[in-house]
Amino acid sequence: MAARGSCPGCGSASLVEDAHYAQQQLVCAACGCVLSEGLLTTTYAEEEHLREVAYSQSTGQKEQLSRCLQRGIRRVQDLCKVLQLPTVFEETAVSYFQRALQHPSFHLVSLEKKELLGGCCVFVTCRQHNWPLTMGTICSLLYAKQELFAGVYLSLQKELGLSVPALSLGDLVKTHLNSFRLFQHAADIPAPFVEDKEKMVARTMQIVELASETWLVTGRHPVPIVTAAAFLSWQSLQPAARLTCTFARFCKLAGVDLPPPAHLRLKELLEILLRMASQLAWLRVFNMDKKTVVKHIGDLLQHRIFLLKNAFCLEDEEEQRAVAAGERSPGSPPAAGGTAQEEGSPSEGKRQREGGPRPLLPPCLINPRKRLRTAAPSPSDSAITGDEPISDSEIEQYLRGPEEIRAFRKAKAW
Amino acid sequence: FKDDLSASPQLFTPMSPYDVDLPIQTSEDVLFSSQFNQPKELPTDFSVDLSFLPDITQDNKEQNLSEDGHEMQKELDGSISRNEDSSIFMDESSLSYPDATQPSPEASGVCPHLTPMTPMTPVTPASESSGIVPQLQNIVSTVNLACKLDLKNIALHARNAEYNPKRFAAVIMRIREPRTTALIFSSGKMVCTGAKSEEQSRLAARKYARVVQKLGFPAKFLDFKIQNMVGSCDVRFPIRLEGLVLTHQQFSSYEPELFPGLIYRMVKPRIVLLIFVSGKVVLTGAKERSEIYEAFENIYPILKGFKKAS
Repeated sequence: MAARGSCPGCGSASLVEDAHYAQQQLVCAACGCVLSEGLLTTTYAEEEHLREVAYSQSTGQKEQLSRCLQRGIRRVQDLCKVLQLPTVFEETAVSYFQRALQHPSFHLVSLEKKELLGGCCVFVTCRQHNWPLTMGTICSLLYAKQELFAGVYLSLQKELGLSVPALSLGDLVKTHLNSFRLFQHAADIPAPFVEDKEKMVARTMQIVELASETWLVTGRHPVPIVTAAAFLSWQSLQPAARLTCTFARFCKLAGVDLPPPAHLRLKELLEILLRMASQLAWLRVFNMDKKTVVKHIGDLLQHRIFLLKNAFCLEDEEEQRAVAAGERSPGSPPAAGGTAQEEGSPSEGKRQREGGPRPLLPPCLINPRKRLRTAAPSPSDSAITGDEPISDSEIEQYLRGPEEIRAFRKAKAW
Repeated sequence: FKDDLSASPQLFTPMSPYDVDLPIQTSEDVLFSSQFNQPKELPTDFSVDLSFLPDITQDNKEQNLSEDGHEMQKELDGSISRNEDSSIFMDESSLSYPDATQPSPEASGVCPHLTPMTPMTPVTPASESSGIVPQLQNIVSTVNLACKLDLKNIALHARNAEYNPKRFAAVIMRIREPRTTALIFSSGKMVCTGAKSEEQSRLAARKYARVVQKLGFPAKFLDFKIQNMVGSCDVRFPIRLEGLVLTHQQFSSYEPELFPGLIYRMVKPRIVLLIFVSGKVVLTGAKERSEIYEAFENIYPILKGFKKAS
C-alpha cells in the first residue's frame, strides 16, 4: 500500500510498507531504498489503520501488570458481567481491586483471598451506587465461606478507607422479589397462587417498613425479613386460597431459599400484627389468631400509624402507667392507649399478653435471655494494688509433686 | 485606676462609676493582686450591680469555667437567680464574679479557690454526664520474663499448664486468684488475659512469673505493659443503628448481614465501640482506663440523640 512522503534517493513518491523477516520497513518501490525500518508498533495491526485500541486490549498493559493482577481483573470483570452491572461499576471495581492489591496488607495473601478481594470490590461498588447486592449472593457466586468474605471485606474497608452506605431495604425488596417465580403461570404452580408483581412488591414494602418501625429489622439479617414479609403479603392478597399453604411450600414454589431465621421473623411479624389488630375497633369482636389476622393485613397496613401509636407505648409512658397503677390514681392518663389503659393497667406494670400496650422495644429487650451476669467488682477486688506479697503456699499449689511427675511421665508419651 | 485597667483592656470597659475594690475573680487575678484589694477586704455595704461589666472574653471564659468547676455554680445558683438584669451575662461570668447582692462569706470563701493559674479539670463533669460508668471486663497485658524457657519442662512440672505444640507454640497456664490465663512462650515473653483491673492483671502476671521461678528458671519481671482493655455498659434504651450509621458514616460500620452490632471507630480517643440495638455498648482498644470512660462520655450524647427516633 502507498505511504506518504518521497524517497530521498530517487524522489519517487511510491513508498511501500513492507516486511523483511517480520521487521517492518518503508521501502521505495522505484529504487528499493529503505527509508526506515523497525517502526515501533504494537502487535495489533489495527494501529496502522488508525483505529483506537483500548489500553486494556493492547499488550502495553499486559506487560506492566502481573499475571495475578490480570487474572484478578478478569475475574472482577466476569463477575460484573454475570450480575449484569453497568460498565461504570466495572471500571470502579477494577480500580478498587488494583488499589487494594498494591496495598501491603493484601499483596501477599492467599489466592483464595485474592479472589474474595475481587468479589469485595464488586460488592463495595454496588453498595456505593445503591445497587442492592447482598453478601450472600456474592459468596454463592464465588463459592466462598461467608466468614472469610466478612474478614476480607472489613479489612478492605479499613485499609482503603472506603465509606460504604447502608443497604437500602426498599431496593432489596424489589431485587429479592424479582427472583420469585410466582408472577407467571407455570406448570407446577396452582392457578390461585400466581400473583401480580406490583401489588406484591408494594405490600411487601409496607410490611418491611412496619417491621423496621417496630424494631424487628435493626441488627438482623435483612433477607429473612424480606422473605417473611413477602410470604405474609402474598397470603393476605388472596387469603381464602392461600392460608393453607405453608411457608416452606411457598418458598419452594417461588424458587427461593428459606433461610432459618425467617420462621422467627414471621412469628414476630404476626405478633406485631395481632397487637395492632387488637386496637382496630371492628376487629376487636373477633378472636384473632395467627391465621385469621392475615386476612386483615390490608386494613392493618392502611391504618398502621394510628394502630402503632395505640398498640405500643413509649417506654417512659409505660413507666408512668406503672407508677400510676402503683398509686392507684386513674386520673393520670398517659398520652397513648387510653382505652387499653383501663383494661390493662391496674394490676401489673408490664403486661405481656394482649390487653395492655407493651413498650415498643426490640425483641432482645422484650425477651431477655437469662444469662449469668458477672458480678460487679467487690470492694476487696478494688483494694488490690498489684504489688501484694505472694505467698509460697499459693504458688506451690500449682506445682506437681515428684510422685505425680513420675506417674505423669510414664503416662505421657514424652 | 486607669493605668491598671489599661493593662487588660479586654476585661473592663473603663467606666467611671466603678469600684476598683471589686474583687474580680479572673484567672489574671494573680497579676492584679498587688493592685487590687485582697478579697478579705471586701466592703460589706456592697450595692453595686455587676451587670454592666462586659461579658468575659473567650479565653477567660474557658479558664474560668474549668477553674471554678461547677461547685461554684451550685453555690451561686441561688444568688444568681435573684439578679434579673442580665441573664446571658450571668451564665458565663457569674461563675467567676461573686454576686453583688450577696457579699456573703461564701463568695470570699470561694475566692482563694480560684487563685491557681492552672485550670482544674472537674472531677464530676457537667450535668450532661451520663451517670453510667463502664465496667472493665478484660485486661490484656504482656511481660518479659527475660530468660529462655523449656515449655515441655514447664508443662510436666506445673499442674495448671497445658501444652500442645502441634496446635500452639506456647504453654497455657491458669491461676484461680485472680482468675486469669497466661500464654507463656519459649522466648520468655508472656501474655496475661482475663483480669478485671490493671492491678489484678499485674498481680496475676507476678504470680505466673513466680510459678516459673519456682520451676527453676531465672525469671524476672521486665516491661510489664497493659496492651488492651475491654469495658462494657448499658445505656438502657434501644438504639436505631440504621440512623446512627447514616449520621456518623465516617466512623461507623453497620453490616447486619455480618454482625448485629454497629462498629464505631472513635478517633479521639482511639477506641472501637460495638453498639447494639439493645443499648449495650462494648468498648475496646484502650491502653488506659480513662480512655474507656472518655470514649463512653463522647458516645453517650450521640446515642441519646437516637433515643426518641421512633
